[in-house]
Amino acid sequence: MKALIICLAAIAVAGLCLSAQNLAYVPDSSWRAPQSAVARHNPLSDRRELAAGGRKLFARNCADCHGSDGSGNEKKHSADLQLPMVQEQSDGALFWKISNGNTVRGMPSWSKLPELQRWQLVLYVRTLKPADPAAH
Amino acid sequence: MIKPLLTCLLLWLACALSSLAQESPFFVTYTHHMEEPGNLEVETSTTTGVPRSGQRLYSAPYLELEYGVTARWTSELYLEGQSTAGDSTVFTGWRWENRYRPLASEHWINPVLYLEYEDLNEASRIQKEIEGGGPELTSRNTLLTSEHAHELETKLILSSDYHDWNISENVVIAKNFSADEGVELGYAFGASRPLARLASGANCTFCAENFIVGAEMYGGLGSTRAFGTGDTAHYVAPVISWMLTGNSTLRFSAGIGLTHESNPLLIRVGYTYEIQGFGGRIAHLFGRQP
Repeated sequence: MKALIICLAAIAVAGLCLSAQNLAYVPDSSWRAPQSAVARHNPLSDRRELAAGGRKLFARNCADCHGSDGSGNEKKHSADLQLPMVQEQSDGALFWKISNGNTVRGMPSWSKLPELQRWQLVLYVRTLKPADPAAH
Repeated sequence: MIKPLLTCLLLWLACALSSLAQESPFFVTYTHHMEEPGNLEVETSTTTGVPRSGQRLYSAPYLELEYGVTARWTSELYLEGQSTAGDSTVFTGWRWENRYRPLASEHWINPVLYLEYEDLNEASRIQKEIEGGGPELTSRNTLLTSEHAHELETKLILSSDYHDWNISENVVIAKNFSADEGVELGYAFGASRPLARLASGANCTFCAENFIVGAEMYGGLGSTRAFGTGDTAHYVAPVISWMLTGNSTLRFSAGIGLTHESNPLLIRVGYTYEIQGFGGRIAHLFGRQP
C-alpha cells in the first residue's frame, strides 16, 4: 500500500513537472547574438565551482519564468533551457542573450547584474539537464 | 521586550534568503532598467529634511506601486504625504508615471521616455525630482495645501552599464497647468556599482554582493521664464542599497544641500518589496492566461 502511494505521488509530481515544461518552445529566429558576441570566451570556464553562485542567481532572477529546473513555462512562453537548441549555443551567445534580453518576447535585459555574475549564470545554465532525456 | 524584538528581526533577516535582482540605489535618478514584466513592486520611502534657520523639520513619506506592464514599459502610482514639526500632517497628492524603453536591446547609451501626471498641492516635499526652484520650505501647510498643482512632467533618461558601473543622466521638463510659471526644468545624474562582482554559492544577508553603492546629484534649473541655477535647490547624495531578504531591499541616501534654497541635509530611506508574477496571479483569478 505504501509503495503504491509513493508510486502515485511520484507519477503526480512527474506529471506536474511535465505539464509546466515548455516542450513546445519555439525560438525567436530574429534573436541572434552577433558573431563577435558568439565568439566570446567565458572567463570563468575553468572555475566550474562558481556555478553554485550561478545557481543562486538563477533562482533569484530566472526561475520565475524558466522554472527552477530551467525547463521553461509554456504559459509564459519562456525557453526550455535544457533543450539542445539552447545548450548547443556558445557561452558567448548565452551571455549576450542574458545581457540583452529579448524585450519583444518579454525577457528583460539583465545587464544590471555585474558581468561576472552573468558569466556565472552561463556556467549554471550549462548544468541544466533534462530529468527525462527522452522528453527532448 | 528588546530581546524578543531583536530575535524576531534577526530571524526575519535570516529566513527569507532567495531573492530577486537588487534595486538601483538611486532615489531620484532613473536608470534604463525596468520592472520585470508581471512583477509588482511596493515601496515605502520617506524624505526627511533637516532645516536651515527659518525652516522647520519635515518628513514626507510616500507609497509607490510599480508594475512591469511589459519588458519595456513600467507604470507606477504614488501616494504621498507630509508632516512638518510644529505644523501639521497633510496628504499632498498622487502621481502616475510611465516609463518606456524605445530600443529593444542594450546599447552604449539606453534612452527611456518618461511621462508623469501629478495631482499635488504645494505642500509636496517628497522631492522625487527637483524642477524649477525646488519645494517651498518656509510657508505653513494650511497655506500650501490650498494651492493645487496639476502637472505634466516628462523626462529623458539616458543610462549606460559599463564594466559593472551604471551611469545615468536625467533631464526633467515639467509644466504646471494650475499656475502660470512657464515650463520648469531640472536634472539628475548618478553612478553606482555593486560591491562584489561574483555571487557566492551560499545564501547570505551581509555579504558584499547584496550591496550597491553610488552617488547622485540632482537639482532645479529654473524655468523658461528664469533659466539658471540661481535660487534653486541642488543636492549631492551618496546612496546605498542593501538586498535584505528574498524580495526586499533597503535603500538609504544622505543628500547634502548645496545652495541656500536646499535643506542642509535630506535623508531618504526606502524599503521595497517585490511580488513576483503578480500580473499572472491576478489574471489567473479572472480565469485568464497570464
